[in-house]
Amino acid sequence: MRLAVVGNPDNRRVTMFTEAVLRAGLPAPAVHPWRAVLSSGLVPAVDPGTFVRIESPGEDAEVDRLLREIGGGRPAMPAEHGEIVGSAAAFAGLRWALDRIAAGGGLLLSRPADILTMSDKPRCHALLSAAGLPVPPALPPVHDYASLRAAMADAGWSRVFVKPAHGSSASGVLAFATAGRRVTAATSVEISGDKIFNNLRVRRYDDEASIRTVVDRLGPDGLHVERWFPKAALGDRVLDLRVVVIAGEPRHVVVRTSRSPMTNLHLGNARGDVPAVRAAAGERAWAAAMETCARVAACFPGTLHAGVDLMFRAGWRDHAVAEVNAFGDLLPRVLAGGLDTYDAQVAALARGWSPVREGVAVPCGG
Amino acid sequence: MGIYEHVEIFAGLPVVDAGDAEATVADPGAVAWRISMEEFEAPPEEFEAAFEQLLQRTGPAGPTALVVGEWGSAYDSPFPYQLLVDNVVRLSGLRALFVGDLTGEECEISWIDQADITPVIEAFPALERLWIRGSESLELKPVRHEGLRELVFQSGGLPAEVVRAVAASDLPNLTHLELWLGVDQYGGDARADDLAPILAGRSLPALTYLGLRNAEIAEEVATAVAAAPIVARLTDLDLSLGVLGDTGAETLLAGQSLTHLRRLDLSHHFMSAEMAQRVVDELPGVEVDVSDPQQEEEWGRYTAVSE
Repeated sequence: MRLAVVGNPDNRRVTMFTEAVLRAGLPAPAVHPWRAVLSSGLVPAVDPGTFVRIESPGEDAEVDRLLREIGGGRPAMPAEHGEIVGSAAAFAGLRWALDRIAAGGGLLLSRPADILTMSDKPRCHALLSAAGLPVPPALPPVHDYASLRAAMADAGWSRVFVKPAHGSSASGVLAFATAGRRVTAATSVEISGDKIFNNLRVRRYDDEASIRTVVDRLGPDGLHVERWFPKAALGDRVLDLRVVVIAGEPRHVVVRTSRSPMTNLHLGNARGDVPAVRAAAGERAWAAAMETCARVAACFPGTLHAGVDLMFRAGWRDHAVAEVNAFGDLLPRVLAGGLDTYDAQVAALARGWSPVREGVAVPCGG
Repeated sequence: MGIYEHVEIFAGLPVVDAGDAEATVADPGAVAWRISMEEFEAPPEEFEAAFEQLLQRTGPAGPTALVVGEWGSAYDSPFPYQLLVDNVVRLSGLRALFVGDLTGEECEISWIDQADITPVIEAFPALERLWIRGSESLELKPVRHEGLRELVFQSGGLPAEVVRAVAASDLPNLTHLELWLGVDQYGGDARADDLAPILAGRSLPALTYLGLRNAEIAEEVATAVAAAPIVARLTDLDLSLGVLGDTGAETLLAGQSLTHLRRLDLSHHFMSAEMAQRVVDELPGVEVDVSDPQQEEEWGRYTAVSE
């Protein structure tokens, strides 16, 4: 079995996967840098039987700039540290790049169409909703603060999560609540001059002018708005789960906890205690949640892994899917049956997992 | 920070979700029933229907303990206390009431829309425990009530008028009083002077637990408490969740003796490690809680629960 990776070579995602391949006694995967793929537009031809893992292009400023340049069709400036800019262009660039990668041959472990769906929140939400999977209801498309308020009024909703359509983690997300003329938003977004930044600290805006500014700046790149699903908590933190489903099996779980409504920041939030959450939810609710995660992943049968973010409702009565992550398998030191997420994927390949081919209809959800 | 979990035990009874049809309850009087609408914006009829269903499930005396979560647009519509008053005959067993068991995920505490609670207190002379969360539109007039043992106001900003009404009330059997004073920005405009009748020990003769919590004016409160006659009668003094710092702690230690206390709760504070240790060391025999130290931020000190 031969493997190749498209990724940022120095990123720990690539090194950890490489280590898992070596642990399995296989030759090290060939690494094709995102920078090279994007700047040359060429993917070195790989043997038809080689498995190709597509890693996140994230955490590399130049790769981000190239994605925005290619997707936007015009020169792009490097983003400042933490700057939220050009997520729609970067998504378009990703679409182009995935086409190139597919043209290079090999057996892709993530189907490009699946990566794109997972990276497009309105589309992913629509897919899961149509499959009968539990997701919070969403508003029709909005593009700025005025249309957000109008759509909320039409729906009769006072509490929503506003998410950039192509954002990752909590970047650009607002937990927004209204009551009459009062408004409040918890968000990691910070306004600085004519730019907006993702700050690791969640702050609260109680003035409509600031909230309007943030939403209006995020709007052009696309927004996805869901009704606020009140999350369960343990102790003094709300929580949700990241469940990585590999070859259909939801076995790698982390609990993400926060004192703010945003559980999915990179820093500042603590990992919770999985057995404690499982006990609080009860075996039946826990099993139902895991079943949902497996059914979500079954919507993407051409893809080896999916990172499902799952929320339990306050009171543990039910649960809902917050989002699905195409590159959501970075869970260092989380083991299931002694295997981390990378080991488990290599093992699934060794057992004969292979992607369902394009165009083959597979029942999704259930 | 804020409130994250629903109450699991209320009035010493396990809380059972009234909407959970599968919950098997042998004795409906031995649990605290929680009614909460799943929809944030559930219409009033839906809450009334759930309430009616609970009355039928709990029999002629109604629930012993009732916890109300979301009653439908709680951020905008006052809790319908009249519904309880209108059904007073069917609620003859009611001993404990908690209105507003909503987490920060469900409603900002400062937005929870309360109302004048005087009529409900007057209509239920056998009520022993009353918990109110949220202070928007909250009103109280001085009352006389012989049944009340425990009175708790959890808020991000408790109006001075409510504090004064509690202080002017005749509650001869009240042993536990908690006032979450909150911050001025969210309506918490009470000052130490408003607490004077309570601190002087003129009202509330049976009080053993006093909680002046979540206070932006924690330093001022500490100063007032340090010389307050009521303290000699208390077993529990709770100044937690606020912004107490070294100055307030120093005043507290320099004031009257606190060594008779069973428990002193100062958790969530801005004291230095040295001062926190000093408080513990100077009060041997008292269970002192100085957990959850906070760091002052660019914008100042925050109470634990505000928005």
